[in-house]
Amino acid sequence: MKKILVVDDHADIRKLVRMTLEFEDCEVHEAFDAHSALEAAAVLRPDIVLLDVMMPGDLDGLDVCRRLKANTELAGIHVLLLSARGHARDREAGMQAGADAYMVKPFSPLQLIGHISNSWATA
Amino acid sequence: METSLNLRPPRSDRSFDDAAAAQMERIIADLGVMYQERNRALREVASAHHEALLRLALAAELRDDDTGVHIIRIGHLAEALALKCGEAPRFAQMLRHAAPMHDVGKIGVPDHVLKKPGTYTQEEREVMKRHPVIGAQILGRSRIPLFQLAAEVAMSHHERWDGTGYPLGLAREAIPISGRIVAVVDFFDALTMDRCYRKAYADDEALSMLAEQSGAAFDPRLVEQLLSNATEFIALRNRITDHPPSLESLAEAA
Repeated sequence: MKKILVVDDHADIRKLVRMTLEFEDCEVHEAFDAHSALEAAAVLRPDIVLLDVMMPGDLDGLDVCRRLKANTELAGIHVLLLSARGHARDREAGMQAGADAYMVKPFSPLQLIGHISNSWATA
Repeated sequence: METSLNLRPPRSDRSFDDAAAAQMERIIADLGVMYQERNRALREVASAHHEALLRLALAAELRDDDTGVHIIRIGHLAEALALKCGEAPRFAQMLRHAAPMHDVGKIGVPDHVLKKPGTYTQEEREVMKRHPVIGAQILGRSRIPLFQLAAEVAMSHHERWDGTGYPLGLAREAIPISGRIVAVVDFFDALTMDRCYRKAYADDEALSMLAEQSGAAFDPRLVEQLLSNATEFIALRNRITDHPPSLESLAEAA
């Protein structure tokens, strides 16, 4: 069963994302900001991190993404950015930060679950 | 399953109106149910296609081999050979389901020809040679991709690498890879089973007969793969002969 960490400062969004992920068999954990995300990732070693980009605090989702991808102990971790910003340059910044995929909010549940099952099949 | 870490979110991290949030959750929950139902329906459709194909194949095979295990072996051997040759797993899996249909056109060949021991007259040979086209006609009008592949296999499994096969006389890569693969595994498997007109050949005999046909009847690359992995292929063949899977389990293994 895949382990997924959902990072969003918005509890309602976390809940909706969790419910969507649970269409498939998976273990969902939550974090609410950059620091709790990094800490949770280090302990839980999730297969996939769904990461909000704009979060309160000194680090944003892009910083978290870069740090997760730079951490050799988390090699192979799949990071999917979920952001309200849909411009090409935002997407570009996300991919530059090392993200495996970039999805725009409001997220499409079917697109999200489709993406997760695909990364399953190829993993 | 919450994280076991002692990380408390701030109190104010909810911002949807309660009723709206509850309604959204309800919608997602329903969507989840529909998602599961859709996936189940898709799996059922796929397995219905496989089962229909297999039953048709068994009907055609009944006159030749009353166990029907030959065609099940052909499917698995074709899949294994496709994978060894670097074909995509998705294609190899489809080929496993399609390959058993390669001789379905024999349904249109009368018994006195099909079951004749010894050599054919010229006329009988022509009748026999119609079975690829008949098979392709039975299968090819379908829009279902699996049936399309099965039609391709039926049409091309008697073509020869050197271009002297039938019905079209295609040569080398002009013969679809599906047909080239099935031709090889069908030859090998048929040699190593008892037929009404002869006893089974021993495995090493059959392998050297296969080697002789490399570059003549068969794609040398495929023959090479089968020969260099012969132990594996023989083990797979024996496993299916000893424990033939039920038709239902075959159809479901999508």
